[in-house]
Amino acid sequence: MTESFDFKGRHIIDTEDFSTAEILHLVETADRIQEMGENALQIAKGKILATLFWEPSTRTRLSFEAAMFKLGGNVLGFSEASTTSSAKGETLADTIKTVALYADIMAMRHPLEGSALAATRYSDRPIINGGDGAHLHPSQTLGDIYTLVKERGSLDGLKIGFLGDLLFGRTIHTLVRLLSRFDVEMHFFSPEGLNIPDYVRNSLQAKGAVFTESEDMNGQLANLDVLYVTRIQKERFFSEEEYLRKKNSYRVDRELLEKAKKDILILHPLPRNEEIAQDVDDLPNAGYFRQADYGMQMRMALISKCLGLM
Amino acid sequence: MKGKEPMRIERINNGIVIDHITAGKGIEILKLFPTEILRTKIDYASYIDSPRMGMKDIIKIENVDVNHEWLLKVALLAPDLTISVIRDAKVEEKINPTLPEVIEGIITCRNPKCVTVKETYLTSLFRVARQENGKLRQQCQFCEHIFHS
Repeated sequence: MTESFDFKGRHIIDTEDFSTAEILHLVETADRIQEMGENALQIAKGKILATLFWEPSTRTRLSFEAAMFKLGGNVLGFSEASTTSSAKGETLADTIKTVALYADIMAMRHPLEGSALAATRYSDRPIINGGDGAHLHPSQTLGDIYTLVKERGSLDGLKIGFLGDLLFGRTIHTLVRLLSRFDVEMHFFSPEGLNIPDYVRNSLQAKGAVFTESEDMNGQLANLDVLYVTRIQKERFFSEEEYLRKKNSYRVDRELLEKAKKDILILHPLPRNEEIAQDVDDLPNAGYFRQADYGMQMRMALISKCLGLM
Repeated sequence: MKGKEPMRIERINNGIVIDHITAGKGIEILKLFPTEILRTKIDYASYIDSPRMGMKDIIKIENVDVNHEWLLKVALLAPDLTISVIRDAKVEEKINPTLPEVIEGIITCRNPKCVTVKETYLTSLFRVARQENGKLRQQCQFCEHIFHS
C-alpha cells in the first residue's frame, strides 16, 4: 500500500502539480476501484460530471463519461463549441461559473493553451483538464502511467521511444515530463520541425532526464521496451502539402517490429491514422486498445478522488 | 549615429533621463509611453559610444513622471538602464528598475494560442528570470511558453 492522500476539491490541471507519491496513490486507487467490480457503481451515485468540450474529441469525452457512469454518477455537457454560448460570445469564465452551479465536477477540453488553469479561477468545483490546446493532457498521461505499470509491472529501467508529432502532441509533453521523475530512458523520433518544444526540452534537462532526439529510429529500435506512437494532427498545420509530407514520413508495421524486441509494447493515444498498420493490432505487442481501457479506469480514480469519494 | 561624434543632448530642467539603454532598444521604450505624454520635447540618441556598454541608447523627456507599471515594462526591455528624475535642473532621484520574480498584468503573452490573449479579462502572469547571458527569460504561467528579451 502506498501513502493515502486526500484529493477532495483539487483540480487536475498539470501532473506537475502532484508529487510522485500522489501519482502512485492514484494508480493504486484505480486498481482498488477495479477490484470493487459492480460495487463501484455506488461510489458516485447522485453526483454529476459536466464534460465541457469546446474542441472535438470523441475518445477523451466518452472515456470521461463512461468512467462517471461506471461509478454510478450522471453526466451532462457539450461536445463542440458551436452548440454552446461561446458561439454567442460568452466568456470562458461565465461558462465555468454557470456550469459550477449544475455539476459536482467538470472535465474540459478547450483549444486555448492555459484555458483549464484559467477555468479554475472561476470554479469552486474540481476541474479536470482534458486537453488545453497543444499544451497539457494530464488525464491521458495518468492513464498512460497506469498502462505502463499494468503492462510492465513497474516503470523502473524502461527504455521508451516516442515517435511522431512531438511538437503539437500534447500527450507527449505531459507524459515525458512526468516520466522524467522515474528511472527511465526516453528516445524521441520525429520528422523535421516536429520535435519536442523548447519548454519541454528545458524541463527535461533541468531534471537531469536521460533522453536523445533524432529523426529516425535507426540503432535505437532494438533497445526499446516501449514505443509510444502519435498521430500527425492535420488541424495543427497551415497547409495540406506540409501535413501530407510529414504524415507519410513514418509508419509502424510488422516488418518494422521484426527489428524490435520481441515483447516491445506499442502504445498510441488514439485516434490513429496510418502511422500504425492495422495488422499490428493482432499482435500481443499492440497495447493501444488496452491503453484506452486503462485510461478510463484512471479517470474513474480521478473523479472519485477529486470528489472525495475514495 | 554609429561611429560618429557623440550626439549632443541638451540638459533638461524637469523630466527624466533614461540612460544605459541596450543599443537599439530606445525606440521600443518610447513606444511604451501614451501618445499624450509624447507631445513634449524628447531627445533620443541611438547607438552612441559608452565606456561601460560599448554602445547604448539614451532618451531625455521633458515634463514627465515615471510610474511603477512603466518601470517594469522598461526593465523588461532593457534591464541595464538607469533613470534619473530631474527637478529644477538637478538630479532628484536615480532609479535602477528591478524586476520581481513574478509579474502580474503589464506583459502580454506572445503565444497567439494562449488563453490570456483571447480571454482578455484574464490578468497575465509571468515568471521572470535573468539568464547568464544577460537576457531575460519570461515564462507565461498559463501556457508556459518562454520568451526572451
